[in-house]
Amino acid sequence: MSIQKREKNLNFFEKLYIPEIMKGMALTLKSMFRPNVTLQYPEARFEPSSSYRGRPVLVQDNNGVERCVACGLCARVCPALAIEVQASETELEKERYPVKFEINMLRCIFCGFCEEVCPEEAIVMSKDYELVFKKRDDAIFGKDKLLVPVENLKERIEFLRAFK
Amino acid sequence: MNIWEIIIISLIKILIIVVMLLLTVAYSVYFERKISAWVQNRVGPNRVGWLGLLQPFADVFKLLLKEDIVPDAANKPLHTLAPLIALFVAFATYAVIPLGPPVELLGYKINLVVADVNIGILYVLALTSLGVYGITFAGWSSGSKYSLFGGIRSSAQMISYEVSMGFSVAGVLLMSQSLSPIKIVEAQHGWMWNAILQPIGFITFLVSAFAETNRLPFDLPEAEPELVGGYHTEYSSFKFAGFFLAEYANMAIASAMIATLYLGGYQIPYIEKLGLGYTLTTALQIAGFLFKIGALIFFFMWVRWSIPRFRYDQLMSLGWKVMFPLSLVNLIWVAALIMIFGI
Amino acid sequence: MPTLTVDGIQIEFNQGQTIIEAARAAGIEIPHFCWHPSLSVSGNCRVCLVEIEKMPKLAISCSTYASDGMVVHTKSEKTLQARNAVMEFILINHPLDCPICDEAGECKLQDYAYKHGKGESRFEEMKVRKEKRVQLGPYIKFDGDRCIMCSRCIRFSDEIAKKNQLTFVKRGDKVTVSTFPGESFDNPYTLNTTDICPVGALTNQDFRFKSRVWEMSNTNSVCTGCSRGCSTEIWVRNNEILRLTPRFNQKVNSYWMCDNGRLNTFKHVNAQNRIDGAYIRKEGQLQKVEWEEALKVAVKSLREYKNSEIAFIGSPFATCEDNYALLKFARSLGVSNIDFMNHILPGDQDEILIREDKTPNSLGAELIGLKNSSNGSSLDGIMKSVKEGKIKALFVMEDDIVSANQEYEKIFSKLELLIVNSSNQNETANLADIVFSASTFAEKNGTFVNFQGILQRIRPAVATEEMDRALDGMEMSRWDKFGTDYDRWLKGKKYDAKPSWKIFTMLSAYMEGKLKYDMAEDVFSDIAKSVENFKGLDYDSIGLEGVELKNIKSEARLAGVKNI
Repeated sequence: MSIQKREKNLNFFEKLYIPEIMKGMALTLKSMFRPNVTLQYPEARFEPSSSYRGRPVLVQDNNGVERCVACGLCARVCPALAIEVQASETELEKERYPVKFEINMLRCIFCGFCEEVCPEEAIVMSKDYELVFKKRDDAIFGKDKLLVPVENLKERIEFLRAFK
Repeated sequence: MNIWEIIIISLIKILIIVVMLLLTVAYSVYFERKISAWVQNRVGPNRVGWLGLLQPFADVFKLLLKEDIVPDAANKPLHTLAPLIALFVAFATYAVIPLGPPVELLGYKINLVVADVNIGILYVLALTSLGVYGITFAGWSSGSKYSLFGGIRSSAQMISYEVSMGFSVAGVLLMSQSLSPIKIVEAQHGWMWNAILQPIGFITFLVSAFAETNRLPFDLPEAEPELVGGYHTEYSSFKFAGFFLAEYANMAIASAMIATLYLGGYQIPYIEKLGLGYTLTTALQIAGFLFKIGALIFFFMWVRWSIPRFRYDQLMSLGWKVMFPLSLVNLIWVAALIMIFGI
Repeated sequence: MPTLTVDGIQIEFNQGQTIIEAARAAGIEIPHFCWHPSLSVSGNCRVCLVEIEKMPKLAISCSTYASDGMVVHTKSEKTLQARNAVMEFILINHPLDCPICDEAGECKLQDYAYKHGKGESRFEEMKVRKEKRVQLGPYIKFDGDRCIMCSRCIRFSDEIAKKNQLTFVKRGDKVTVSTFPGESFDNPYTLNTTDICPVGALTNQDFRFKSRVWEMSNTNSVCTGCSRGCSTEIWVRNNEILRLTPRFNQKVNSYWMCDNGRLNTFKHVNAQNRIDGAYIRKEGQLQKVEWEEALKVAVKSLREYKNSEIAFIGSPFATCEDNYALLKFARSLGVSNIDFMNHILPGDQDEILIREDKTPNSLGAELIGLKNSSNGSSLDGIMKSVKEGKIKALFVMEDDIVSANQEYEKIFSKLELLIVNSSNQNETANLADIVFSASTFAEKNGTFVNFQGILQRIRPAVATEEMDRALDGMEMSRWDKFGTDYDRWLKGKKYDAKPSWKIFTMLSAYMEGKLKYDMAEDVFSDIAKSVENFKGLDYDSIGLEGVELKNIKSEARLAGVKNI
């Protein structure tokens, strides 16, 4: 091993470190009086913008039925294999509906591909980021947890229409 | 005063000192976290009690309720002894540090120091050197390579910096011509603070104090990124709390020592000229001493959250090539001061 | 041989071949909707238009005969333009409902729209709406919107099923497919139209919306519905069979299979009455026990009888391997009373595929030697002996002989010991003293010999408890490949069943241990050594289309599939 030459030879005062230490200390002292950036979480909450990708949800139309037709494209495109769809037949005009729609939130990586690929604007990313589970099974969200009325998702849907 | 009175007074003094020290330590931890938060534009602990003031107690209970794990490979007696040594040394040192001038209370003349020994400084130096055993034992007895590294680093570091520390103190002793802390404090009346008279000695002592207490930037014995937790890797629960306590107690003691040796101890310059009453003066002096300690503890913390850790070779070269010669220079300077100005 | 040039490549062809056939034989795919290799040419979709030099206009390659020296361009500017135009034209009234359509993923129109379409529509008017969800016969749903009027289904019912049941009605853009008035599309082969339908207009009601095609794994197998043994593919998702489709095999079934085989031969695999594990009759009730215990009890019980008091019934439903293992096990006990039961439905046979022998492997069982054991009794003889109390122990493999012949129920009451290998609960298994759960045809490796003497392989498509999709080389869907034990879809029901040859091998291990097989292939190589007709064969040489066995004296053999 050869000894590398220093880029710059330090003079005596620089070798003492002391001026640099002073500078560093001054900096930390200054920052002690700067305002805090902490968000006091349970009391103050982060309000995401409409471009935020929270947990994916199914859009529930005003007639109380999900928009989803269980085409399975989201399940196919999901890189983490988080989505499982079982289709079935319905008397409604859309013919097909998801009798089971499950997202494994432990697998979900919030990439938003499902939303992007959805031909029916039926699955969108919500602003919901609070996901806590006590059991593995709790992390598998069925239709009961996934369906969200369309009014609550207006912002995101408008965002998608503008930018997707 | 008969012997019983002395014993009782001493016991009371010990009790006060221990309680004070424990509280200081507890709130040092609190302020350490607060200061780190301020430096990083955060809030810090604020959930337990008003402004998080009960956080230290929550921490203590958490530590005490944890399982005490002793590794199979550990030397069990030494493993238990190590934190005790560390704690003992930390608390025992405080015995010789005067809080204020002697006071008259209930007809007794009481020195505000547990033991007014005339070789107090020597006692402190001796005890702090003993402190290294706690850490070295901890490192060796844990039966873990990380602990061992931490312990070895600690002893090497302590020995190195004790040299410059000793020579720096020699400068102070020359000035005051006494080993008694009270005498040293009294010798710094007015603005005759040793920090002003011998700045080089002050700096070398300060740096050595950092190294002796294993505080950043000299916390190599526990360097988390490389040694997991250093000498206390294999400690948990009460024993870990012992080390934790000892570290902060050492910091308080180092602050007290610096204040005593270099910053005039409980002296407030020219306070007697203000003509305040005896009681008020004494109270102010005690408050002044506590303020100095507090400011120094703040300084310790401030440094910790500003300066990164030294590399081990840098630490050693700083100790032997910079601090040691500087402390000798200081000695010559003090000698010159005494010879020329006859202070 | 005459040659023509397609896209600069010289290809030889037989006189009488059309361009599309000649190109296909040479591996050049010309897009087509209405043309099908087995059907007559109708030439109405126009998507196979190609440019032929020295011809004034583009010609449809499906009805233009190839001639010597012809130069054809399938990728020229002109051809592509025409193809785009045709695609655009076809897509005018085709609904954009691929997300709903079951055909998506195996849809010709979808594929060609990707390959040859423009990707956008200039059509701004309302699409013509037609009838949706029309029940076209018992198993088929018809969606008029999606139909592109290729007429494949109509030609199929005319030419292959030989039933004129479907026709076009109305004209222009209102044209749609319908049954003749008063007719129902109910011949035994209707579901083949769902396979050949290039779009999702005709869908299999049994499979409707059950799964997307890309979510399933498909395994090459053989239909067990009759002794035709049509080549099939088994489509599996979450370890459950969702559908069977025919697989092209010129020697056996061409592109087709019957509705009965398609719909009714796999349901028992995931049926409620599957037997799970080994059972022993204790205090009058069949109770689940460990395999080891059941095997030990079976061996101990069998040993209590003289070899003349024991009989074995093989099965034409089981593979050659299973029957051979049974034969060998019986012989190792010194038993010569071995036979199997034929299941023949007289008259239920046609000129197309369906055979009256309703078992996939009766010829195989016969060739293995279950029928002609030298000095033992035949099935009737065995039953007579049972009745007379001469035979006291009976081993029945994978055949519900009691349901087939109700008299046996009474006869069986005379038995002291009845051991049954069965995949599902049935009347025979319910009478048994010891039951071993047998794997179904979809859960094991093996071979069947159809009535023509063609040996074909079956492969496991559904995993049982002892199998692992990856380790046992089974077909895997994307979900199977990337799932973990924690994923629900991989927790599809797995039954604790074993192939019969394995059960005999395990039984043998508790006796003299003459049977030493680790896998079905070992059994087969043993068969290939000892059975004349199987000489020189192994699993690799069977291939996807099967091989014709040597020295088969079957008239049917020559029948082949010349009719279709």
